[in-house]
Amino acid sequence: MKRLRQFAYSEPATLDEAVAALASGGEDARVLAGGTDLIVDMKTERLPTSAVVNIKKIPGLTGIDDLGEATRIGALTKVTAIEGSQLVQQRHPALVDAASVLASPPVRALATIGGNVGRASPASDLGPALIVSAASARIRGTMGEREELVEGLYVGPGQTSLTCSDIITDFIIPSPPVGFGSGHVKLGKRGGGTDIAMAGTSASVVIEDGVVRDCKIALASLGPIPFRAPTAEAALSGQAPTEETLGAAAEAAAEDASPIGDVRASASYRATLARVLTLRALRAAVASSGGWVVA
Amino acid sequence: MTFRIDTTINGDRTVIDVDPTLTLLEVLREQLLLSGTKEGCGVGECGTCVVLCDGEPIASCLVLAGDAAGCSIETIEGLADSGELSDVQRAFVRTGALQCGFCTPAMVLTATALLREDAAPDAEEVKKALGGILCRCGAYPKILEAVLEVSGEGA
Amino acid sequence: MTTYVGNRVARVDSVDKVTGRAVYGVDVALPGMLHGAVVRSPYPHARIVSIDTSAAERAPGVVAVATGKDFPHLFGAAIKDQPFLAIDRVRYVGDPVVAVAATSEREAQYARDLVRVEYEELPAITDMQMALDDDAPLVHPDLHTYERGGHEIVPHTNINTLYHFERGDVDAAFAEADHVFEAEYSAHALSHVTLEVHVAVAQYDTYSGDYTLWVTTDRPYFLRDDLAGGLGVDGSKIRLKVAQVGGSFGAKGVPIAEAIAVMLARKTSGRPVKVELTREECLIASQLRVPAIMKLKTGVTNEGFMIARSADVLWDSGAYTAYTVGVAIRGSQTIVGPYRIPNVKIRSRQVYTNKAITGSYRGYGTTQVTWACESQMDEIANELGIDPVVFRLQNGYEEGDPYLNGQIMHGVGLRETIETARDEIGWGSVERKPAPHLRRGKGLATMIKPTLTPSSSNVVINLGQDGRVQVVCAAPEVGSGQDTVLAQMAADAVGVPIDVVSVPATDTALTPYNGPVASSRTTYHMGNAIVAAGAEIREKVLGLAADFFGTDADYLEMYDGEIRDENGELLITLKDLLARHQSEGYALTAGGRYSSTGSPLLKANPGEEWISSIFWMLCTQAAEIEVDTETGVIRVIKVAASADVGKAINPMTCEQQVEGGVVMGLSNGLFEDFKIDNGRIENASLVDYKVATIEDMPEIVPILVESVHNEAPFGAKGIGEPAAAATPPAIANALFDAVGIRIRDLPITPEKVLAALAEKAATEPGD
Repeated sequence: MKRLRQFAYSEPATLDEAVAALASGGEDARVLAGGTDLIVDMKTERLPTSAVVNIKKIPGLTGIDDLGEATRIGALTKVTAIEGSQLVQQRHPALVDAASVLASPPVRALATIGGNVGRASPASDLGPALIVSAASARIRGTMGEREELVEGLYVGPGQTSLTCSDIITDFIIPSPPVGFGSGHVKLGKRGGGTDIAMAGTSASVVIEDGVVRDCKIALASLGPIPFRAPTAEAALSGQAPTEETLGAAAEAAAEDASPIGDVRASASYRATLARVLTLRALRAAVASSGGWVVA
Repeated sequence: MTFRIDTTINGDRTVIDVDPTLTLLEVLREQLLLSGTKEGCGVGECGTCVVLCDGEPIASCLVLAGDAAGCSIETIEGLADSGELSDVQRAFVRTGALQCGFCTPAMVLTATALLREDAAPDAEEVKKALGGILCRCGAYPKILEAVLEVSGEGA
Repeated sequence: MTTYVGNRVARVDSVDKVTGRAVYGVDVALPGMLHGAVVRSPYPHARIVSIDTSAAERAPGVVAVATGKDFPHLFGAAIKDQPFLAIDRVRYVGDPVVAVAATSEREAQYARDLVRVEYEELPAITDMQMALDDDAPLVHPDLHTYERGGHEIVPHTNINTLYHFERGDVDAAFAEADHVFEAEYSAHALSHVTLEVHVAVAQYDTYSGDYTLWVTTDRPYFLRDDLAGGLGVDGSKIRLKVAQVGGSFGAKGVPIAEAIAVMLARKTSGRPVKVELTREECLIASQLRVPAIMKLKTGVTNEGFMIARSADVLWDSGAYTAYTVGVAIRGSQTIVGPYRIPNVKIRSRQVYTNKAITGSYRGYGTTQVTWACESQMDEIANELGIDPVVFRLQNGYEEGDPYLNGQIMHGVGLRETIETARDEIGWGSVERKPAPHLRRGKGLATMIKPTLTPSSSNVVINLGQDGRVQVVCAAPEVGSGQDTVLAQMAADAVGVPIDVVSVPATDTALTPYNGPVASSRTTYHMGNAIVAAGAEIREKVLGLAADFFGTDADYLEMYDGEIRDENGELLITLKDLLARHQSEGYALTAGGRYSSTGSPLLKANPGEEWISSIFWMLCTQAAEIEVDTETGVIRVIKVAASADVGKAINPMTCEQQVEGGVVMGLSNGLFEDFKIDNGRIENASLVDYKVATIEDMPEIVPILVESVHNEAPFGAKGIGEPAAAATPPAIANALFDAVGIRIRDLPITPEKVLAALAEKAATEPGD
C-alpha cells in the first residue's frame, strides 16, 4: 500500500496552541480536520506536508447550534451530522442536499465542514450550498479572530484567502426569512452522488407575494472555485418563479460559468450541465420555499 | 516518535503505543494483526477498509492512528468472537452474498451498523448505506437480499 | 442420483470470508520478510541514459536494489517480449525500471524516490492506428528475434499478431446480398479493478536455486511456466503457493508483482520479499482490457438472413503482449456471433503501442467483439424493419449446427436464452415517457464464447481414515465459487456428505497440473477429473465393504457416506467401515484426469480443429433503460440475463456469476473510461476511474438455461465470462429503442448521449 512519508505530528489542546504550531510549522504544515482530503493529498503527494496539526482534540469546534438569528456549525462538525440535522434541513435544505451527496457514507462520517471549505476544491459540494445560504466563517489566526463570508474565502483551485496559520472555527449562517428555500443538485460520473461533481449547483430564493425577492445561485466544478452566478441571479430577481423565468436564469448561469475540460467532463458538457442543474436546483429551491413553479 | 492511545478494540480496552504517522488501517492490520480489514484503494473511494468507529462505518485508510484514541473501534474480527456468526454474517452465508470476499468484511460491518440504527431498512436505505463500498464481483443483488432478510423486509 | 449437485449449497468459503479469516495474498507475512517498491517510467517511450541508485542503496532499511541489467532475460506467454525490469528502454508510462527492497514498505518507498534515472524521450506510439503507419517508430525493433509460439507476426513492424480466417466467398455473397451494412465500432481499455491489488512474495534459495512464491493468481501453472521461461529454469524449480484471490477476472495470470518480487529475491540472501502494488500502479501497470477497433460488414437478404460478414479488427496490446495474442485470434473469430453465416472473412491485427499493457479480461476478447456484433445486429434489424429478437432467432445457432470450422456444435441453448430474456423483460411494450425529460427503451444482445481447447485438469482425491475427503487440485478460488462447486461434485462422485470434503489451497509442489482458472473452464474440466477420481474412490470403498460383508460390490451403493445394499438397506457407514482398519491405518487415493484432446466433439474441417471448443457458452441479456434527455444520463432499470450453463451444479453460484457479470458489464459500458493523453493515463485513481456501486445496480433477473452436454460432468458447462459481454450492447440497443441514437464507441457516456441527441435533433426536426 501507499505509505505516508514521515511528518511531524501534534495534537494541540487549544486553538492558540494550534495556531502557534501552524505558524512555527511553516508553509508545509497542515491542519488535520476530517483527513479525507489531507490524507489523500499526502498519499498522492499533491502537497508537500512536513507537519500535521490535528485540531480534533480542541474542545468546542463541533456541534450545530440554534442561535436564533443564526445557525452555528462548528468547523469540525461531520458531514453526516449536517446530513442528519433537522435544524439545518428546516433552515438550509441546500446544505443537507449537498451533505448527503458528498462522497460516500464512510467518508462523510469522517469529513468535516471546515475541512471541506478549507480544501477549496472547485468541485466542493458544501461550498456552493454555504454560499447560497449566505454563510460566513469564523477564523482564528495569529492576528486574532475574524469573520468572512464563505464566498469570499475562495481564491483559486485549492486556495483560500486563509494564511497557513489560520483555522476556521465555525460557520455562522443567518436564519432565513419567511419564503426562503434552497436546494443543491450535482451530477457525478456515475450519474448521482458518491462521486466528485462533474458539475454542481446550489440555489436559494426568497419568495414574497409570488415574486422572487432574492436569489442566490452558486456553481461548483464550473470554474476555478465555487462561485456565484450574478447574471443568473439578476435574471430571476423580481420575477415570478415560472418555468420560463427559471429557465432564463438557468441559461444565464451557463453564461456565468467558465468551465474547463478535464478527466471528468468536457467544457461544453459542463456548460450544458450548468444550465440543466441550475434549473433543477432552482426548482428545488422554489419547492422548498413552499412555493411552486408555474408551468 | 510514538503516541500512547487508549482505545477500545472489539470491546476490549486497548492501550497501545502507536506511530502517529500511520493510518488506523496500518495499525489494525500490522500492529494488532487484525488483517480482516483490507485496503482497496487507500484514498477513501472503495470502502474496502471500513471499520466501525463508535458504531459508524468509517474509511480507516484516511484516519491517522491518533484519532483512534477514545473511540470504540469494531472490526470484522469482533463480530463473531463468541464463536457464533452474527445474524448478518449468517444471512451473507445463506444467500451467497459474497464472491471473492475481499469487500465482505466492509459490507458485513456496514450492514451491521445500519441494522443497529434501523431494524427494518428498505431496499433504498440499504443501497444508500452500502453505496460507498465497491464489490467488483458484483455480489450486490445477493448482498441486498441478505441485508433485507435480516431487516425483516425480505420476508 | 445426486445429493449436492443441482442444489443451492452454501459456499464452502463463506464462513472464512464473513469472519475476515480468509488469508489473501496481501495478508501473507513471513519471518524476515522485506518489502519492495518500484521506480516506474514517467515517459511512454524513452531510452534509459543512466540510472543512479547510490542514494537509495544508502537509505535506511534498504537491503537490495535491482535494475533490468541484473537479469537481462525476457518472459511472455505467447511472445517473450517483456523484461523483468526495463533494459535500456522504457515502453510505457509505468514500465518498471528499478526495484528496491527494504525492511519496511515505507522505507522501500522512501528509498525508491531517491533513485535517479535519466531518460532520453523517444517518439511514442500512443494510438493503435498510428502504430500501422509505414514510418511508425517501432516499439519492439527486435520483435522478429523474440522467442514465440506458432502464431504469425509481421517482422519489422508493430504488428505482433496477424490472423486471417476465410470461409466461402465473401465478395460474391456481398454482391448477391440485398442489403449490406458496414460500420466501425470500438471497445475501450478497462481495468479489472480486482479489489485486492497485485501482490506477490518471493523467496530465493541461494543453495538450491529454487524459488518459492506466495501469490494470488488464477492460473498457477501458467504463471509458473511464464516465470520459468523468463528465469531460464525448469518449472519444477519454482513453487507457487496460492492464497485466497481477491478477484481476478483474468487479471492475475501474468507476472506483474511476481516479476519484481523474483528480481529482488535473487539479491536478498534468502529473505522473502513482498511486492504489493498500489491501486494507482494497478491501474497504470498491471493489465487492461485490450482496446479494439472493429470494422464490420454484413450482407443480408430481404428475408433477414445473413449471408456474408467480413471483419477487420485492430487490437492494441500496449507495450507487451502478455495474454493478448489469444485475445486477438480467438476474440476475432467470435465477432461472427452465434449466427449461421456461410461466407465469412476475418482479418485481425494486433499492434504494439507505447501504452499500458493489456491482457485477458473476463471474456477474453468476446466483450469487445460482442459489442460490435450485437450493435450491428440491432442496426440491421431496425433498418430492415425486423424485430431484433426475430432477426437473431432466425439466424442463431441451433443444436447440431456447424461452427465456422465445421465443428458440429453440441449443447446449444441459444434459442432458449433469447426467448427467456425476451419474455422476462416484457419485450414489445414499454412506458416510453415517464416524465417530460425521461425516455425509456428496451434492447437485447446475445453472445457466444468458446472455452480454452484443448486443455486438461488433474486431481487427486484422498479419502482419509477419518472419512474426510480432500480434493487436491490446482484450481484457486478466485471468487467464482469453484471450491464449492468442486466440493459438491466430489461429494456426489464419492458418495459422502459435503461437510467432509475440502479443497486445499493450491500449491504447485502438491497439487497436480491444471490449466488456468480462466476461460470458464474449471467446472467442466476439473469436474470431469473429479467425477473420474471420485468414482474410483467409491469403487474402492465398495470393494472394501463387499469384502467385509462377503458380497459383490455390484450390489452395493454409497450416498452421503452410507453404504447400502441393493434394497436400500443401510449396511454400514463409511466412517465405521474405515474405523475397522484403525489399527493398521487406512487411506484411499485416486487420481483423475480430463483432457479435451481427442474428444470426438472437436472434429472439424481438416486443419481447423484447433478452432473447435469442447463446449460453447451462450448468453442473452435484455435490458430496460431510462435516459435523461437533459443530462444524457442512462439509468438501467432492469436486466434479464439468461445464460446457458448446461447443468447448474449450484444455481446460487451460477446466479452470482450472471448477476456479477451484469454489474461488471454495466460498469464497463457506462462508467469506466480511461483518459489517456500521450500514452499517460490521467485518471489513475478510483476517484476518477469509476466502478459501479450497489446504487447503480438495476433489477437483475438471472435465468439459467440448461442445455444438454453429453461429455460434461453432470452436464455442466462454464458460466464465468459470458455474462459480462452482452450487457453493454443490450444497453446500447435499448438506448436506440428509447431515443433513436446509436453509440458505436464505448463507453456510453452521458456526454456522448447528449451530443448524439443534439445531432439527431439538428438533422431530424420535430419529436
